[in-house]
Amino acid sequence: MSNVPAIDKSIRFKALRREVTRSVGALVIALAVTTVIVFLTSKAPLDALTQLFTAPAAKMRTVGLWVDDIAKLTLTGLAFSLVFQARQFAMGVQGQVYIGALAASFVVLSPIGTTPFGLAAGVLAAMAAGAFYGFLPGIAKAKLGANEIVSSLMLNYIAIELCNFLVRTALPLPQVGVLTTVDFPKESVLPALVANTRIDMGLIFAIVAVLVVWFALYRTSWGLKLRLVGHNARFAEYSGIKSTFIMVSAMTASGALGGLLGAVFVQGQTWGKLTVQFEGGLAFEGILVAIVARSRPLAVPIVAIFYAYLRQGASLMNVRTDVPAEVIGVVTAIIILLVSSSFSLNFITRLFRRAPAAAAVQSAAK
Amino acid sequence: MMDLLITVFSATFFVTIIRTTTPLLLATLGGLIADLSGALNVALEGMMLIGCLTAVVVSVYAPWYVAVLAGLGVGGLLGALMAFFAYRLKADIILVGFAVNILAAGGTVFALALATGGDKGTSINLKSQAIPAVDLSFLSAIPGIGPILTAFLSGHSVLSWVAAFLVFAVWYFLYRTPWGLWLRGVGEYPAAPEAAGIPVAKVRTWSLVVSGALAGIGGAQLAMFNYVGFTRDMTAGRGFIALGAVLLGARHPVGALLAALLFGTFEAFAVVLPGLFNWLPAELIRMIPFLVTIAALVLFSIRAQRALAMRGAK
Repeated sequence: MSNVPAIDKSIRFKALRREVTRSVGALVIALAVTTVIVFLTSKAPLDALTQLFTAPAAKMRTVGLWVDDIAKLTLTGLAFSLVFQARQFAMGVQGQVYIGALAASFVVLSPIGTTPFGLAAGVLAAMAAGAFYGFLPGIAKAKLGANEIVSSLMLNYIAIELCNFLVRTALPLPQVGVLTTVDFPKESVLPALVANTRIDMGLIFAIVAVLVVWFALYRTSWGLKLRLVGHNARFAEYSGIKSTFIMVSAMTASGALGGLLGAVFVQGQTWGKLTVQFEGGLAFEGILVAIVARSRPLAVPIVAIFYAYLRQGASLMNVRTDVPAEVIGVVTAIIILLVSSSFSLNFITRLFRRAPAAAAVQSAAK
Repeated sequence: MMDLLITVFSATFFVTIIRTTTPLLLATLGGLIADLSGALNVALEGMMLIGCLTAVVVSVYAPWYVAVLAGLGVGGLLGALMAFFAYRLKADIILVGFAVNILAAGGTVFALALATGGDKGTSINLKSQAIPAVDLSFLSAIPGIGPILTAFLSGHSVLSWVAAFLVFAVWYFLYRTPWGLWLRGVGEYPAAPEAAGIPVAKVRTWSLVVSGALAGIGGAQLAMFNYVGFTRDMTAGRGFIALGAVLLGARHPVGALLAALLFGTFEAFAVVLPGLFNWLPAELIRMIPFLVTIAALVLFSIRAQRALAMRGAK
């Protein structure tokens, strides 16, 4: 990196500062809106806001919940970043999480689970299954031109129902009628890094995944091609890059990350077993993480730290006060809208001016 | 098997199909208008869901038609919101759409908890109303075919008739009016209408507003006729299925009708199958609409590609 010219560095620094200002601005606006909503709807608004903003860092146990969410949001954020960088809007991470979790559960609850290889076998099976599930919409788009948004969303619903079905019928349950499998053998559960918290090996997986995705995107020819396809697929095609191959491989790799997240969910300290609807909507929140991080793998964990804090704050507020956790959906939507648009801090002044295209036409006419 | 055939060829099954098709058809028409103008509306799901909740809450305090109009209005507003961010603030339309979906998934539960005083699952505590069914039993007076006509045509929601009319209206608008030509031109090749002085962003904005309004009515039908009351995530992917139906219907209003009928029929199967075959697992039955959508999407894509290849070969 030392041979990067100084001017290049200053440009990069400026761009970074602009992005950070925009993200922070969006966050502040979203939180201001949330504060107003809480004040309008809650009987004890100050209490609720205190919980939202301070509760996650208050106790060791809640810090554990926070860090656990950071690891998971990082993984889903990376999965979305990979496909977004290739400008594919595959929304299949949720389905990959369920399929990955199913694969991990089948392996771990088989005799392999009690051997020393149980943990690794479960994780690898999950990644393979997730990759396959990510490959399906990719190949359907590459070979047939089937819209990847629709197909990946349909696969999500199918995966959820498949998980419900297999948990009920094919996996060992502690008693009839419960929709949770028996506990996984302890050889196959990710060991805790900090005792008595949920901080487990999933965090290490997340950190490794960040480095691997960064390396793959910015230090390999595959990554260069992928980003080229994302910028301008036709140009990439003309310069001899097989854009369909890149597309499919990006979706497959993203699927492997989704599957890994599934394994981290069910083999982690949080569950240690497979239960229906275990993911609680977390997978989709990777969209926000990826958008705010501008699909940059190294920025993903930083965004995840902030968003995980908010997420845990909201759920603790939900438990302890009268404000439902779902208020966080409003925050998420506002942040996505502001960050993905050309919003900047002086946007209120520009808001009521003419659209830029019209202004450009006028200036050209002069 | 006999039971299944008897059920499928009965008039009540036909009425069920119309009932399950109507919300899908309205959303599909909404998706079609947005898609033809070049603005892919992935927020149909969220617009429907917010339409559902709005209609249910409004129907507690006002007559049913006001509730339907409220659903329509809120859908239109969401469309305008999308257009504002996509065209004024230059955000990616797909990301904006997903922001609306996320807003809908969380926001409806939040608003439901406020409206019901803490219940986050259903609106069972709210006395919401239903859209009346159109009673055509006077048709029985016609000799011969009268009773059959009554069995098939009576008992549909008012909105089912509206939706059927809208298929024609949308077709007329798109293919027989200058604005329809503008809209299709903007979607086909935006540079040409831009050069001809047609305001591209404005056309797309209005198509998104109409698209949202249609999805909103679809939501009202879902929460005030198919089911009476709101449950969280009650749209259950219908907005996304509608997105598939737009493509399957070859981006034409009549195609949209046929595609919506196809998906509606399979949803109707999912409604009647548990009663007929209780050994069939409920989870697999619930999968049917999604499996059919994928299968239809793949088959349609194969056909479209073959058509493209044949045109290229000439």
